[in-house]
Amino acid sequence: MRALCWTGVNEVSVEDVPDPGLLNRQDAVVKVTASSTCGSDLHLLDGYVPTMMAGDVLGHEFVGEVVETGPDVRERRVGERVTVCSIIGCGRCHYCKEGLWSLCDNSNPNPGFLETANGHASAGIFGYSHALGGFAGSHAEYVRVPYADVNAFPVPENVPDASAVFASDAVPTGWMGADLGEVGPGDVVAVWGCGGVGQMAALASLRMGADRVIVIDRFPERLAMAAEMGAEILNYGEADVPEALKELTGGRGPDVCIEAVGMESHGTGAQYAYDRVKHALRLQTDRGISLRQAIHACRKGGIVSVLGVYLGVVDKFPMGAVMNKGLTLRGGQQHGHRYIPMILDRMSKGEIDASPLLTHPMRLEDGPRGYELFKTKQEGCVRAVFRP
Amino acid sequence: MLLAGAAAVAGIVIVRAARSAPPNPDGWFAVTVETDPALLTGPDRPDELARLAERHEIRIGPAPGGRGSEIAVREADGETRDRVRKLKQLLETGEVLLVDRQPEGHRTALGRVGAPAFRHLTRKGAR
Repeated sequence: MRALCWTGVNEVSVEDVPDPGLLNRQDAVVKVTASSTCGSDLHLLDGYVPTMMAGDVLGHEFVGEVVETGPDVRERRVGERVTVCSIIGCGRCHYCKEGLWSLCDNSNPNPGFLETANGHASAGIFGYSHALGGFAGSHAEYVRVPYADVNAFPVPENVPDASAVFASDAVPTGWMGADLGEVGPGDVVAVWGCGGVGQMAALASLRMGADRVIVIDRFPERLAMAAEMGAEILNYGEADVPEALKELTGGRGPDVCIEAVGMESHGTGAQYAYDRVKHALRLQTDRGISLRQAIHACRKGGIVSVLGVYLGVVDKFPMGAVMNKGLTLRGGQQHGHRYIPMILDRMSKGEIDASPLLTHPMRLEDGPRGYELFKTKQEGCVRAVFRP
Repeated sequence: MLLAGAAAVAGIVIVRAARSAPPNPDGWFAVTVETDPALLTGPDRPDELARLAERHEIRIGPAPGGRGSEIAVREADGETRDRVRKLKQLLETGEVLLVDRQPEGHRTALGRVGAPAFRHLTRKGAR
């Protein structure tokens, strides 16, 4: 089959690779009909994740059709259209039972690196390096899905691929950001990053009844999309974000700050220049400018909810602000399984439409061009989605 | 006399503390498994656990909060840790999750040469 592979720093290519098969009795093989680029892929592309090998198949956010099931698959059927959660859970360990699916004890067979780096390993993820399990990704014609009964979710007939594909990751991740922030009526929520996840975090906050949602980015077309859904917008290229947030919130600061940017945060001024140099010299693994800003801006006693991917250590982390302002800091890879059935149901009822994120439908063969557009955000690209 | 008595009491406390502490904690590798401890200690305990017990000292006890059992294996090198993790997978999910023989594109010469060491590092850690 054809698949989009990482071949080196900022290089991808479409190659002939062997077809996947059933490796375990609880596996299914899914024929991919749509597979999205994701901001978190950029950390892999840029070479900041040391456990990638040239030849690894990328992609983790996808929808498709079940074409083969293992003998111990009970719920899923051949021919079913499914959204597959980007995070792989086993469904039986303590963490999965508690709904903390991205902390699954059993779905990452390569826990050594993360145990050394973080103390404990987290769940496996499709197409996300060998430290996250070494699973082949979804930018391919077919993908093998472990524990298929718990990781693949039937898609209602009236939900198109263009929306269902984002039920795999962007929507549940955004939803979790608002959920971890305990967003409710009366809240002012600020969201750093207006990519797919940031937009969905803003949408979730609005659906959870937030009084006001303020989205921060620098790309006018992305900010316009957030404004379209009812959010207020702040362009950090034009405004002093901390000052503007204080002004917009009567001096309090936002009740909930959702960070949807991650370890390659862009910014302005001396702080950004400092981070950029240290990052380039590998003196820090993660650039934390948006995270620092979220902590600084958050109201006393507020919640900072971190969705952006961080890998290792952030320099100049403002622990004093966290402690003295009594902040609650939460984060995690998405516990998608908690939210996906509800999200697909809401998509079916017309309450959530994620399809505007799909700005660039493309053939798999155009994968290198798709990642180029996505990375540089040319042509208003929010998400390039491949249709193998 | 009083001092000697205090020293004796202190000595007992120190000895007790030393005895209750795990001997050489660095030498133990522990996992928590969602399984009743009785199923791990009786005659029907898993074969793999029996095989591990042939070469390693093993402690099994209940995990607090109804979280199943704690299994600790002494002097567990990278290979043994991998076996213990696979035992946990088998007990909890009914199978050992495989990731070998998956689709992959062209590996570079360096990648092919370094793959075994790389896989060892990601799977078993630096042991």
